[in-house]
Amino acid sequence: MSLKDRTSEFHSAVESIRSRSISQTGGFKARNNLEHRRPLLDNHSNSNGKIINGTNGMNKSEFARMAGAIGNDINIMATKLQKLTKLAKRKTLFDDRPVEISELTYIIKQDIAKLNKQIALLQQYVRDHKKNNTQANEHSSNVVVMLQSKLANTSMNFKDVLEIRTQNMKASKDRREQFMFSNNQQANITEANSPLYNTQKRNEQNNKDFLALDMSTGQAQQLQLMERQDNYIESRATAIESIESTIAELGNIFQQLAQMVSEQRETVQRIDANTDDIQMHVEGAQKELLKYYASISSNRWLLIKIFAVIIFFFLVFVLVT
Amino acid sequence: MKIYSLTIFSTENDAVVNLAGEHDLSGFGFFQRNSVQEFLTFFSKTVAERTKPGQRQSVEENNYVFYAYSRTEGLAGIMICDNEYPQRVAFSLLNKILDEFLIKFPRDKWIPQSIVFPELKNYLIKYQDPKQADQIVKVQTQLDETKLVMNKTIETLLQRGEKLEDLIDRSQEISFQSKAFYKQAKKTNSCCSIS
Repeated sequence: MSLKDRTSEFHSAVESIRSRSISQTGGFKARNNLEHRRPLLDNHSNSNGKIINGTNGMNKSEFARMAGAIGNDINIMATKLQKLTKLAKRKTLFDDRPVEISELTYIIKQDIAKLNKQIALLQQYVRDHKKNNTQANEHSSNVVVMLQSKLANTSMNFKDVLEIRTQNMKASKDRREQFMFSNNQQANITEANSPLYNTQKRNEQNNKDFLALDMSTGQAQQLQLMERQDNYIESRATAIESIESTIAELGNIFQQLAQMVSEQRETVQRIDANTDDIQMHVEGAQKELLKYYASISSNRWLLIKIFAVIIFFFLVFVLVT
Repeated sequence: MKIYSLTIFSTENDAVVNLAGEHDLSGFGFFQRNSVQEFLTFFSKTVAERTKPGQRQSVEENNYVFYAYSRTEGLAGIMICDNEYPQRVAFSLLNKILDEFLIKFPRDKWIPQSIVFPELKNYLIKYQDPKQADQIVKVQTQLDETKLVMNKTIETLLQRGEKLEDLIDRSQEISFQSKAFYKQAKKTNSCCSIS
């Protein structure tokens, strides 16, 4: 049996299948398949002296790799966001885990920033490596747009989760204050031994303990579980932060105001142009009318003169005959 | 929200001595005022005794709140107000008073009867309305007002925009009509002579 070299047939078959799979799956999967097949092909082609899109292929797979990595990261971040949503939706008064939530928020924020950078890099890459194949260009730009929209969706969800969290925090704070206030109205509720409390909660910043003394006599003391240890300095900090945010909002409003005024400037300019046109037209019309008037009056004079002359001749003729 | 009294104690040597105090007892009947004042001073002294140096505390009892701030220099300031008074303002006021007191009266002058501290009275009167007196709260209220005004301004601006667009349409219409007027005048002028 003679060995027949059918490598060329093999190559052509692979080519046809490749073009078919590209048109079928339309992108990612095809590229991934291509990735797997490409090393084999390259080896074969190189050994045969035929180079099938050598450099272009590397670029395509590079792009696909980056895009795939970004997609993966987006999915991971989506799962983290789901976890954060679950945590933020809890409405219990005591079991709130602020440390975890803030950590998770921080991590997610960092991830979003990193993904943004990666997508920007990918976009830059696409722009630098524009090839002659317009469909490939369109595909790459579509992929980038899709990744961007996915990231935008995730960040919108993140923002919603943060809003929910702040609302819940506010609601729980109100409920807690209700609780505490109703507790304080009962005269019998007293606090634990103040020295004990102090040693527990003391730190460098001056602590403010919340104690309710029973003024008549010192009675049995119970621990108040639902006290909130508000720190004076913390409250100042929050007040100042709220001021700062208000100022930022005001700045925003001012900017919007300026933008709207500048938009209206164009309108005003149009009105100005219109009024100029009106004036021009009316002036021209007035001139015409003056001319007309002048012509009419002068015509009359002419007419009168002509008539006078005719009548004069008429009279002359009448008198002569 | 009212402040009922402001007192300053010296807390050294484990004996709490009343150094200066001002009260605002206008809410109580004339005959009760004396006893009320005694009560207030007694309670202030008790709270000052129980406050460790370098510590801030607040005690609430039957609509009255005692805010105590004890400094490590051996001074304690006690403020008695009703339960609506914001806590942060109370403590900042105590801070301010104690600072001024320290500046004005160094340690050796802490003899109970000889201290004249009129600013205490002024502060008591001024801080009856915490919204005006406290800087932070004042700034916040002013900012809120400004925000309200800005919102109204933006609304007015939107209306202005609408009116401007209306003006545009009208001016355009006048422009067209004046043009027609001009053409008409020109036509009557250029046409055949009048007979």
